[in-house]
Amino acid sequence: MNKYEAVIILNPNLSNKLESFMKDFDSLLSDNSFNIIKTEDVGRRQLSYSINNHNKGHYLLFNLEGDPSKLIDIENKIKYNDSIIRHLFIVVKEHNGEDSHLLVESKTKKKEADSDDNHVEDIEIKKDNDAKKIKEVDDTDSNEAPNKAEDASVPDEEVKDE
Amino acid sequence: MSKYELPKTFDYKDVNILKQFITETGKIIPARVTGVTASNQRKLTRHIKIARFLALIPYTDMHK
Repeated sequence: MNKYEAVIILNPNLSNKLESFMKDFDSLLSDNSFNIIKTEDVGRRQLSYSINNHNKGHYLLFNLEGDPSKLIDIENKIKYNDSIIRHLFIVVKEHNGEDSHLLVESKTKKKEADSDDNHVEDIEIKKDNDAKKIKEVDDTDSNEAPNKAEDASVPDEEVKDE
Repeated sequence: MSKYELPKTFDYKDVNILKQFITETGKIIPARVTGVTASNQRKLTRHIKIARFLALIPYTDMHK
């Protein structure tokens, strides 16, 4: 029995069919007597470079336990699965129980996106308020302007007197 | 030296940490520049290469 970490990048267009894929994958692993210790659904992520003309990928992380000889069978199956654009199995000494950086990052991004929506509403309200203020300022400006003109004319007359 | 900070444990998923140790063009920065210990540099190299394969960090800035 070896301990493995698996990373699978799915075709982003198939994100909706995630549940059916997970079922298939679970059954594939259990058929080959692999135990899933932990799954992390990182979700869609920008790829650093395009793979098979995909710019985004749906990342899945697994902590697995199983027999090395069976792993070859699993990889052979995965190789010919079109919905998987890249996969990697790594042997690890110990499983790190904590959430990976990728998962934490995707979660915080989601939160930010949610709060951003609220911000947009706030900003719109502020804009309305600002627009009102500007109108008020315009009104006061128009009142002051004629006064200034009068002020300007006064010194001119004085100059003429001299 | 504060520019390069390496925690005790890290792996290919810690993209933000690995990104400190590659140049803008995607090359791995030599240990003589970063001051990382030799064993840590070997770990870094290994994990950077895994992260590149998984498209978490780029191989180069010339990707189309």
